[in-house]
Amino acid sequence: MKKLLFNALLIAIVVMSIILTISFLTPPKKIPEYNDEKLRELALERGLKPVPDSFEKLLKLVDDTSNPMTPQKIALGSELFFDTNLSKNKKTSCASCHSFDKDIKNRGVLLDTLTKKDQEVTNCAACHLQDQSGVDRFTFSQGDGGAEHPYLLNTQTILNSAFAKYFSWSGEISSIKEQSANSLQDHHKMNLTPKEVEARVNQNPKYVDKFGEVFNDGISFENTTKAIEAYVKTLVTRGDYDRFLEGDNSAMSHEAKRGLANFINFGCKGCHSDISFGGQSIQRFPLREFAQVYDLKLNFEIVPQLKRLDSEFPFENSGGYLGKNNRHLFRVPILRNVTKTSPYFHNGAVPKIREAVDVMARHQLGRHLTLEQIDEIVAFLRTLEGDIVDYGIKEYR
Amino acid sequence: MKTIYIKILVFVMFFTGVLQLKLLDIAWENFKIIQALHIVISIVMMLFLIAPFIYKHIQNYFFVKNVRSIDGWLLLCTISLLTLSGFYLFFIGNRGGDIFGTLSFNLHLYGSFILIFFFIYHTNKQQKPNISLQIILASLISFAPLYAQTPKLSLTEIEGKKDAHHSEDWTNSIKCKSCHNDIFEQWSDSNHKHMAGSNPYYMVMETLAGEVEGQEFRKWCMGCHNPSGIATGLGKTTHAMEGNFLSNEMFEKNAKTLKSDFKAQGNFRVEEGVSCITCHQITKAQSKGNASFSLSLDRKKYAFEDSTSDMGRWFNEKLINSNPDVHKKSYSNPLYKESKYCASCHDEFHPKTDIKIVSTFAEWEKSPYNNPKDKSKHKTCIDCHMTNLQNNKFSPLKAVSTDGGVIKDDVKVHYFSGSNHFLSGLKNKTHEDQTIQLLKTSAKLDVDLKEGKLVVGVTNIGAGHHLPTGAADFRELWLDITVKDKNGNVVLSSGKLKDDGNIEIGSRLFQKVFGDEDGKPVGLLFWKYKKLLSDTRIPAGEKRVESYEINKNVQYPLEATIKLNFRIYPQWATDAVKTVYPNLPSPPTIELSKVVKEFK
Repeated sequence: MKKLLFNALLIAIVVMSIILTISFLTPPKKIPEYNDEKLRELALERGLKPVPDSFEKLLKLVDDTSNPMTPQKIALGSELFFDTNLSKNKKTSCASCHSFDKDIKNRGVLLDTLTKKDQEVTNCAACHLQDQSGVDRFTFSQGDGGAEHPYLLNTQTILNSAFAKYFSWSGEISSIKEQSANSLQDHHKMNLTPKEVEARVNQNPKYVDKFGEVFNDGISFENTTKAIEAYVKTLVTRGDYDRFLEGDNSAMSHEAKRGLANFINFGCKGCHSDISFGGQSIQRFPLREFAQVYDLKLNFEIVPQLKRLDSEFPFENSGGYLGKNNRHLFRVPILRNVTKTSPYFHNGAVPKIREAVDVMARHQLGRHLTLEQIDEIVAFLRTLEGDIVDYGIKEYR
Repeated sequence: MKTIYIKILVFVMFFTGVLQLKLLDIAWENFKIIQALHIVISIVMMLFLIAPFIYKHIQNYFFVKNVRSIDGWLLLCTISLLTLSGFYLFFIGNRGGDIFGTLSFNLHLYGSFILIFFFIYHTNKQQKPNISLQIILASLISFAPLYAQTPKLSLTEIEGKKDAHHSEDWTNSIKCKSCHNDIFEQWSDSNHKHMAGSNPYYMVMETLAGEVEGQEFRKWCMGCHNPSGIATGLGKTTHAMEGNFLSNEMFEKNAKTLKSDFKAQGNFRVEEGVSCITCHQITKAQSKGNASFSLSLDRKKYAFEDSTSDMGRWFNEKLINSNPDVHKKSYSNPLYKESKYCASCHDEFHPKTDIKIVSTFAEWEKSPYNNPKDKSKHKTCIDCHMTNLQNNKFSPLKAVSTDGGVIKDDVKVHYFSGSNHFLSGLKNKTHEDQTIQLLKTSAKLDVDLKEGKLVVGVTNIGAGHHLPTGAADFRELWLDITVKDKNGNVVLSSGKLKDDGNIEIGSRLFQKVFGDEDGKPVGLLFWKYKKLLSDTRIPAGEKRVESYEINKNVQYPLEATIKLNFRIYPQWATDAVKTVYPNLPSPPTIELSKVVKEFK
């Protein structure tokens, strides 16, 4: 008996040392230290380009001959975007969920709300309008009359969607025009029929003139969505990252630069690509351990319980959404301003960015990041935060 | 052959024990591993190897061979005592609360030397000394101190990281709860815990400061209100949500949200605000204000201290409890009893203009309470703000700070009673009660009628700083006066609340009023303060007198009712916060003192 125990102990020691040796011989992937020029070059080579700093440059990237972005159309789109009349109960506009202040330079909403009477903004908006996040910060979206999203989906940011190819969580939508048409009609969003939209627009004499100026065929449902599209395409943001790419080495901290190197080398940029850092493709999630995520959770209380977590996602899938065709296919979300748009994932199940980065690395890259790597990536993501660029379009001709 | 294994094992246990001696002071990296190994190996070996061996050994020699060996029995006796004391230390610990812990610790420590003595004697007596084994042992003994003196490994990367710490470095307060339950419960409803995301007034002010002065300006607020957030790179303080609704943290008892967040995300999620670690890892404090403290998250952690599993944490607690010296040292500091420790946050100045906004520490420094020469008169911050109150008197709490620990004569309670009875009172009535008791010790009223004038004196008898102090521009301390004549008609009235909840104009308030550059009151934007419009606060030990003209034609006798009232926030400030937090109640008025006097 004793001998048996001894042999068992010896075998255990041998096995342990083998495991330790293997882990010692296979060190984790080392990300080289790049100097600033090299890092900039790497990022640009991979298409992680800056957001243009002038309207002309923006037009070159996003303008579309089928719906040219004229200043008048953009101005009309802006009116429509903030118009609560375009919803059934006349309480919801596009900006109710894709929140930011109409006057993007306005920095006094909270002070006005606190000190003046009869302000219109709701209590959440009073503080959060200044974030310019383009989302409602809710776990799941709620449309006109408080209608919940049938799949309890989280609102995605509208900012920088000008650079995206695919829209909505499933990515089945291919233009902003199409998506705004859906949003106007969906019963859990604005809840109007195309005819009702046309009627509501017609009621406003201001619109009648402006539609006449902008479109040859005047007011129509399609022209409404076209004007909204033209406006939404101007909603792009620039952050410290863009300034770094344009030559300002001090715009990003050392930690954030390490994070960018990690982002490129670990393969995050494979999907979160192009200027918008996402929105360019439809991918599976979770990729690893697809399609079932098993996790054994041990609880060492007095009576130990072995809990088997078994779900389609590495978090609770409230709402039961399974992506495009129920095949776990999702549009890759845009990472610009991601640090402003918690909670994360399609149903807002993950509250904080660090956990979201960890989930992505585990299930998309099959990688267990160290705490330091996660912090570095988060520091990098923070440099993608920025305010909406004021191109001064009114003066533009 | 078999006995040699036992010999090696016994010596392994002995040496791993000896290495933990305070005397040797081995590098912490090595200590924590050795400590964990010592316990695990000892338990496994005792159960599976040594106990069966002893059983067989006794059977073989005592019963079969009939050997009578006194040292053998003594050896058995010591080994049993060592085992028992070892089990006690591991499962219950040397927490200081019972004599058995200390007894076990000493028994285990000195007993091991006695055991080794008997062991060598016992084995050498029976057979020729095994020279090779002795050489091995001798070399081990001579090398052990050398090994112990290896240069200390650089412990953590925190020092190397420039401006950010990992969330794991900010050990979540929930982890402290399992051994310091009472202190945790006191802290969990205190204003120190609820100073960031769960404080509606703070959230509004931080956001407003960001909106008016630029988002970077929030960091000025966060230095004291959210140090962990700032150190982990957060640009602003966040509040909890429950689905699509704002969380009810304002009314929650015992840090419910913190607990559920910890359960779901562990220490991976940073605990925002002032946590246990924040105060208990401060190494230096400059009494300058604006978060002028140095914080080192670089501390000696026992094995598995950062473990994410329940099992790891359970094991870690056992390791700490069995030998808690290092734990105690790394979380306390004589500095924590000095007033200058608190000064690092309880003084406040504008980061750009250096204009002083809050000077509580500076006020205390000049007060009679700062008297280091006469210890009986010297009173530091914690003598009032961390001492238990009962029946409106300071009544030091006789209790433990660690579950099962030493009963202390004056446990420093972590209610952090100050003046904000309101926000802590929304969660816990004990907190409210402690704060109101403290407030009532602060002032005394006296009333007289002189030359047709009602003269009211308010003396600051209890506070070691001005009354009120802190954000004194948002504190309301005022006199509520009613004088009735012979027929019960009111002939003088002052300091009443208007219908909208604000104090009527013309009332006598003890406060400071901040004005901006142009001399206009700053309102909510207190950081705009440039000119002091008025300062009617009462310094420590001093008296302020207010007199009220009384009409000459009144009919005596007069009945004067004088109240000294206190309200934590003015109604207009609460109304502003309510526009964003609609379910915030209005703070009540607290009557600190009342005098009714008749004049004939």
